Amino acid sequence: MPKFKKVQLVLAGIFAILFFRFYHLQIYQHSKYETKAGNNSVRKISLHAPRGIIYDRNGIPIVDNRQIYDLSVIPFDVTNQFDYRMVSKRTGVSSIELKEKIAKGKKSFHRFRPIPIKRHINFETRSHLEENKLSLPGTIFSEFPARTYPVKAKLTHVLGYLRAVTELSVSIPNQELDYKLGDVFGFSGIERIYESILRGRDGTEFRLVDIYGIDHGVYQDNPGLQPTPGKALNLSIDSELQALIEDLFRGKKGAAICMMPQSGEVLAFVSAPDYDLNSFAGPVPIELWERWNTDSERPLLNRGIQGLYPPGSTFKLIGAALAKEESIVDKNWTVNCNGVYHLGDRDFHCWNNAGHGIVNMDKAIFQSCNIYFYHLIQKLSFNNWKAMAENFGFGATTGIDLLGEKGGLVPGKKYMNKKYGRYGWATGNLLTFIIGQGDILVTPIQVAQMMSIIATRGNTKTPHLLVDSPSENIIVSLKSTTWDFLQQATWNVVNHEDGTGKAAKVLGGEVHGKTGTAQNPHGENHSWFAGYLVKDGVPILSLAILVEHGGKGSVEAALISHKIFKYAQKNITL
Amino acid sequence: MLRKTLLYNTLLNKIIQVPDKIVIRWGMIFPVLILMCISFITLKYTSVNSSFFSSTFTKQIVWFGMGSVVFILAQWIRIQYFQEYAYHFYGILIILIGITYFMPVIGGSHRWIIFGPVSFQPSEIGKLLLVFVIARVLTDQKGKMNEIKLLLLILIMAIIPALMVFKQPDFGTAIVYGFIAIPMLYWSGIRSFYLFSVIAPFVSIISAFNIYFFSLWIGILVFVIYYNQPKITIGVSQFMVNIGCGIMSPFIWHNILYAHQKERILTLLNPTRDPHGAGYQVIQSIIAIGSGGIWGKGVGEGTQTQLRYLPVRDTDFIVSVIGEEMGLLGITVILVVFFTMLYWIIVYAGIISNRFSSLTLIGFASILFIHLAVNMGMTVGLLPVTGLPAPFLSYGGSFLLSCMLILALSTNIINHHI
Repeated sequence: MPKFKKVQLVLAGIFAILFFRFYHLQIYQHSKYETKAGNNSVRKISLHAPRGIIYDRNGIPIVDNRQIYDLSVIPFDVTNQFDYRMVSKRTGVSSIELKEKIAKGKKSFHRFRPIPIKRHINFETRSHLEENKLSLPGTIFSEFPARTYPVKAKLTHVLGYLRAVTELSVSIPNQELDYKLGDVFGFSGIERIYESILRGRDGTEFRLVDIYGIDHGVYQDNPGLQPTPGKALNLSIDSELQALIEDLFRGKKGAAICMMPQSGEVLAFVSAPDYDLNSFAGPVPIELWERWNTDSERPLLNRGIQGLYPPGSTFKLIGAALAKEESIVDKNWTVNCNGVYHLGDRDFHCWNNAGHGIVNMDKAIFQSCNIYFYHLIQKLSFNNWKAMAENFGFGATTGIDLLGEKGGLVPGKKYMNKKYGRYGWATGNLLTFIIGQGDILVTPIQVAQMMSIIATRGNTKTPHLLVDSPSENIIVSLKSTTWDFLQQATWNVVNHEDGTGKAAKVLGGEVHGKTGTAQNPHGENHSWFAGYLVKDGVPILSLAILVEHGGKGSVEAALISHKIFKYAQKNITL
Repeated sequence: MLRKTLLYNTLLNKIIQVPDKIVIRWGMIFPVLILMCISFITLKYTSVNSSFFSSTFTKQIVWFGMGSVVFILAQWIRIQYFQEYAYHFYGILIILIGITYFMPVIGGSHRWIIFGPVSFQPSEIGKLLLVFVIARVLTDQKGKMNEIKLLLLILIMAIIPALMVFKQPDFGTAIVYGFIAIPMLYWSGIRSFYLFSVIAPFVSIISAFNIYFFSLWIGILVFVIYYNQPKITIGVSQFMVNIGCGIMSPFIWHNILYAHQKERILTLLNPTRDPHGAGYQVIQSIIAIGSGGIWGKGVGEGTQTQLRYLPVRDTDFIVSVIGEEMGLLGITVILVVFFTMLYWIIVYAGIISNRFSSLTLIGFASILFIHLAVNMGMTVGLLPVTGLPAPFLSYGGSFLLSCMLILALSTNIINHHI
């Protein structure tokens, strides 16, 4: 064979090896590398579903969505003109740290990829930075959905707040909703209870992305999925009333619950002190949450459903109801109150040291005479008294649509035996129970519910926060005369010239109520007022007001109630 | 003045010679035109984002225009000039590469001679100069010198510039320098067994990294030595040299090679080793080629290319772009067309009786071949990433010019003799 043919043959051999290598990659392993090429360049992008808006009963939005922003920079685009000081001033990130971060990013393989500088900046900060775009080359903003609270009413403990899913969030409620890192979820309040309604469903989009992370538009071969926005919620809250009460509670501690007696719809729900949901952008920052958590004023505690208090004299209505229901006493049965009652070697005082003189049941309620009830309890069965309290909803959660509600405590024989031993307690304890002291613990919402029951003659519904939502009926069957008595007695409290609740009286309105002054081991007495307002023969608002260490119920709580009734008289209709 | 003109004329007469005839050798020209077309189409779509005048597409067209002028002008070069001054060229080559060591470092190596605004890479044109000198020695010493001595002389002549280039460091060009001597030696009629003996130590070095390959290789070595029946002393010493090389290679590995060169060789052995270093390029290149399939994704449609996952897509990895966008079809066209070009050069080399010219053609063909083979082998992960561009495909002005010059001189030689 001639030499040139040999050379050509060797050449052909080498070209054949090359060809078969290409053939192997492009035909035999084609699908494998096609997948790899797709993985390289096609990015799955999550499209945020806007969270449902929350309205009040009058259609005013109280929780809305807004955009907040994450500030990032592309290290490659940062030049010497970059104004580190301005970014530092606006975001609080130290400029040395910033410089180091960017310098490091510039050397990295991913120098075209944005690196995050500051999360959750608001629109104002963004605008400031945006205005100086020329001295901030390489900065970019990405949008991020957050909540905004456009009305004056804060409604903190009802609305609750959002948190972001991090690697550390082990206990996310509603796991089945399939969260991704960085998603937000309702951590408390309505946001949490109705998470599945509010959240909606995120969509997906497939986009072509180049090696630098630069977007090249939608990937045509896969249309992805459109996001489904979260559904709106209509709360039964009257945001104007809510704001009014929040104002009244400024600088105080306590709780106020207003609801519609017939439907159980909650009109206002205040727990003070609270915290401002508008004070931060995006999910609650951990440091802020820690601060609330360790605050001795306990702003995170939802006093309306979690605060346990002795009910004080408001609880006398239970004893009175039992006595009336079982016809144990009539209005001719009287007690002479001289301010103190001796039982064994103990003195039990009336709040009025001068004494109320001759007291019948009517007067015992509107004057809130303790001595009368000390006598009365001794004619009543302890078991029946407990049963009556439970009839009115005490000792159990009301079932309002909020998490963490406490049931309180109505002591019975079993409880007393257990706590004090079989012979460790006696009539003396009962004397304190009937006037709402001692071991009894109630929540403000239970007290409000009691007033709803009285106002509707035992035909109300479980308290709830959504308007027109189905809720359970609460039926309390008592004799008609018992209801008559309770309504009359509570009317007297406010309207009788010697009534303890006079301060709550509204001109031209029919206000019923009962004051309470609860002694407690922590200091000054708690001030209670529980009552309801009747308009055109129909009860339209029942409430419970508790001011911690507010002194006499006849003053602090009754005055607040007065303002609420005044508002309701004018503005609330069925 | 007159003397000056005379001197000038004499020099011109040495260099310039009006060609008897200019025949366009379509067997060589047509493949180049096809390759250039493929290159232009590819560059057109990889440079869509740059402005018209700054795009590699436009620049490459301009370079091709200049290359065409060079091609025509080169037909007037007196071909014997290269033979006459071959030793001078060799000296110039060594000096020029030597000068690069004193030049500033660009991109991690000193390959360039910078003279004011002008800069050039002497190792580029040096490939041609080396071909001339090897052809000259092989012509001059035919039948005069002992075959083995001649072989060693040629190898030393090739290895000196190769090592100098390797030190720059430019691994790719060093391979070219080392390689071109082998086909030329074969062509000059040196016994195949001697050539085998020369190549064998390199195979020993590489195979020594794997004990099984090394054992297999030693088996082949023993068989070849036995089959050729050399003197016992030669056979034994050859065997010993190869064993020695196998033992030496770890030493070379640890003490002579640069870190990035080691990196490239290691990456060849396992491309997934460092996905963002040298291996990254190979992985992306293989993905690009593999995802292209038979017909390719269409020009300008390759995701690997257009979304920049593929590195240096205009130059070193342009074959990967073609593989992705034009598929196996495009690759086959390249291979067929390139083979056709080399086929004809070899055919002419076989016909031409002038020994120097014939050897020069083989040397030229070797330059073009080794570039394409190493470049394509690199894109599919068969060979390490050496930075050798693909002739007539990769973007790059001076490289295209030297390829055009090779083609022009080949045409010149063929026309001169046939």
